[in-house]
Amino acid sequence: MRGIRKAFGAVTAVDGVDLELRGGEIQALVGENGAGKSTLAAIAFGALRPDAGTVERRGTVGLVHQHFELIERMRVWENIVIGREPRRGVRIDTDAAKRAVRELAARNGLDVDPDAIVESLPVAMKQRVELLRELERRPAVLLLDEPTAALAPAEVAAFFATIVALARAGTAVLVVTHKLQEVLDYADTVSVMRRGKIVAHFASRGVALDEIARTMVGGELPKVAARASTAPVPRVRVAHLRAESGDNAVRDVSFEVRGGEIVAVAGVEGNGQTSLADALAGVLPYEGSIEGADARGVIPQDRLREGLVPSWSVTENVALGRQHARARRGALLDRRGVLQAARAIVERYDVRAPSVDARVATLSGGNQQKLVVGRALLDDPAFVVAYQPTRGIDVGAAALVQSRLMEARNAGAAVLLISFDLDEVFALADRILVLYRGRIAGTFAREDADRAKIGRLMAGGT
Amino acid sequence: MTIAGVIGAFVVLLAIKTTPIAFAALGGTLGERSGVINIGLEGMMTAGAFAAVVASGATGVPWLGAVAGVVAGAAFGALLGVLATRVRVDQIVAGTGINLFALGSAAFLLVLVYGQPGASKTVPSLGNGSWLLVALAFAVALALHVFLVATPAGLRLRACGENPSAVAAAGIDPLRIRLLAVTAGGALAGLGGAYLSIGELNLYSDGMIAGRGFIALAAVIFGRWTPLGAMGAALFFGFFEALQFVLQGSSIPSEAMQMLPYVAAIVALVAFRGRARAPAADGIPYERNIEEF
Repeated sequence: MRGIRKAFGAVTAVDGVDLELRGGEIQALVGENGAGKSTLAAIAFGALRPDAGTVERRGTVGLVHQHFELIERMRVWENIVIGREPRRGVRIDTDAAKRAVRELAARNGLDVDPDAIVESLPVAMKQRVELLRELERRPAVLLLDEPTAALAPAEVAAFFATIVALARAGTAVLVVTHKLQEVLDYADTVSVMRRGKIVAHFASRGVALDEIARTMVGGELPKVAARASTAPVPRVRVAHLRAESGDNAVRDVSFEVRGGEIVAVAGVEGNGQTSLADALAGVLPYEGSIEGADARGVIPQDRLREGLVPSWSVTENVALGRQHARARRGALLDRRGVLQAARAIVERYDVRAPSVDARVATLSGGNQQKLVVGRALLDDPAFVVAYQPTRGIDVGAAALVQSRLMEARNAGAAVLLISFDLDEVFALADRILVLYRGRIAGTFAREDADRAKIGRLMAGGT
Repeated sequence: MTIAGVIGAFVVLLAIKTTPIAFAALGGTLGERSGVINIGLEGMMTAGAFAAVVASGATGVPWLGAVAGVVAGAAFGALLGVLATRVRVDQIVAGTGINLFALGSAAFLLVLVYGQPGASKTVPSLGNGSWLLVALAFAVALALHVFLVATPAGLRLRACGENPSAVAAAGIDPLRIRLLAVTAGGALAGLGGAYLSIGELNLYSDGMIAGRGFIALAAVIFGRWTPLGAMGAALFFGFFEALQFVLQGSSIPSEAMQMLPYVAAIVALVAFRGRARAPAADGIPYERNIEEF
C-alpha cells in the first residue's frame, strides 16, 4: 500500500500511509483510538476505497473480526463453506462440505466439530470457526482485528501458535491490537499509527513496551492517580447471589466491597460478569441479598446500548437517569442544573466535544466513555459498579478513567471493577476476585496476588 | 347430501380458501428468511388480483391474467426490496406504504379502465384450471423447503436473515439476495391475489383481499418461518375461512362469523408465541459498517 489517504467529511482518517506486508511475517499495527488503524485495515481488506494511493495485493485477503461475523444459529460447516459450497447437482454436497472442514481443521491444528451449532460454542471455539472460514479461502494476507479481546491467557497462546505457524508457512499477517505485550511476544515488526500517519516502525525484538506506548501517544504516558491509604469501612455486602440472563449466570457468590477500596472481578468474558453487574445495577432480578448498594453509580458494559442515547446531545445524556431525582424542578426538567452538570463533566473528564449540544454519536468512543464515567461519578456515589470501564478506548482516555475511579476510591467510595484485562485489574485493585463459571474461584489481596495463579483460575484450573 | 358429500364439498372449499393465503405466506416466508419483513403482502396480493383481471379481460386468455398477477406482485415486491435494501427505508413503513399505494391505485385504475368505481366487469376466469394453482401452492411449498434446506442459494438466503454481515464477509452481496427474495416473494403473493380474482371469482372488487395478506403474515410466524409450516398455517386459516363460509346463514350473526379467521389468527399467534425464533436479522436493514473493524 502506497500513499494511502482517506477522509470522512472534514476528518482525515488516513493521511499518506505506506505499508508493506510480507509473506512469512507477522506485523502489528498499534495506535490510539481514532489513529486510523481501522480505516487502514478496511482499505487493506478492500472494504473501503482510498481517496488517493494504490493498494497492490498478491492473492486474497482474509479478515478475522473482533466481534466475530458468524451465523450463530447455523452449523460450523455451513459457516465455513458458505459462498463456496461443494455441490452435487443443485444441492449442497453436505458430506463433502463436512469432510473439507475436517481436513482444513486438521491441517491447521484447530479441532472443531463441523456439526456443532455456532451459538452453542464457547468464545475461543467461535474464533476458531471464524479463522477457519478465512483460511478456507487460502488467503495470502490475513488481517486480525483485536483477535484476543475475548480470550483467556492460555487461549491467547494457543491462538498465536496457530498464527505463527501460518506465517512460517508463508502467509502475511497484520494484527491490529491494543495489547502491546502480545505485540512483543508474537509480532516480527510493529507499525505505530498516530493521527492518520505511521510514525514509527520497529522490529519487535529489542524494543521496549514503554517505547511503543510513548510513540503511540506522542509523548509521555499519562499517569494513573496514586493509591492513597484509606481505612476501609463496611459498605456493600453481597450474599449468596444468584442471577442469570440468557446463558450468563452467577451462581451463589458472596463478597464484600468496602468504602475506600477497589474490588476487581477478574475473569474471561462470559463467566457471569454480565449477570453480576446487572444484578448489582438493579436491572436484573436476583436471589440472595445485596445490601448497601442503593446510592450507586453504574458504568455499564456497552456504552452505546446501555449508557447513552447516541442521537441525543451531551446535555440530554447527562440528564438521563437523573431526571427523577437530581435534574428536576417541580414537574419540569431543571435545564440550567443539567447544563451545569454537563459542563462540569466535560471539563473534569476532558470530554472532547464541539459543545455540550453536540450529538453523542459524533464523539469518539473514548470521549463517549468519559461522559458515561463522568455521569456515573457525578454525585459522588457511595458504591460504583464499573464494567470494563476502559474497553476499546485509547491510552490517554483509559488513564483518565482509571484515575477518576482511583480518586473516587481515595475519597471513600466502594468500587467494584469488572474487567477482562488483567493489567487493569492489577493496576487498580485492592482485592481481586476470580470469577469462573459463575462462581468465585479465588480471592486475593493486592499484596499477595499471583498473576500466574489468577490466569490459571480464570481458565478453570487450580 | 351424504356425509361423504358434505365432507367432500368442505374439502373443496378448504382448498379454495387456503390457496391464496398459502401463496402469500410462502412469499412472506421467503422474504423474512432473507431478513425482510413483508408487511406489503396485502398490497402485492391486491396488485396481483387487479392486474390478473385487466390482463385476462384484455386478452381473453385467463392464464395470461395469472402471469400478469405474478408480474405485478413481483414489481411491488421489487419496490419493497429496493426501498428496504438500497434506500434503507424502515421495512414496516415501506410495506405499509405499498399496501396503501396498491389499494389506492387499483381503485383509481378501476375507474380508468372500466369507467366504474367499486368493481370491474366480469372477465374470463381460470375455471377448473384454477385447480392447477391449488396443486402449485403445495408444490411450491415443497420446492421452497428443498431450496432453503439443501441448495447453496438457500443457505445464503437463510444466512442473510441471520447475519448479513457474515454473508458479506464470505464475499456475497446480502442486499442482492434480499432484493431477489422479496421480489420472488412478491411474485408468489401476486399469484395468490390472481387466484382470488380470476381463480375463485371472475372480477376485481375494491377490498376483495380483505386482510388475507395480513393473515398470511400471521401464517409466516405461525408456520415458524418455514415453507411447510407456512403451508400448514395457511390450511389452518383456510379451514376457518371455509367454516365461516359454511356457517353463514345459520342462526349465528354473519358479521360474527366473518370475524372467525381473524380471531383464529390472533388466538393462534398468542397460543404459539415463543415456540420458534424469528431469523435473527429479520427486519433489520443491512448496512456495511466500517466501525466493526
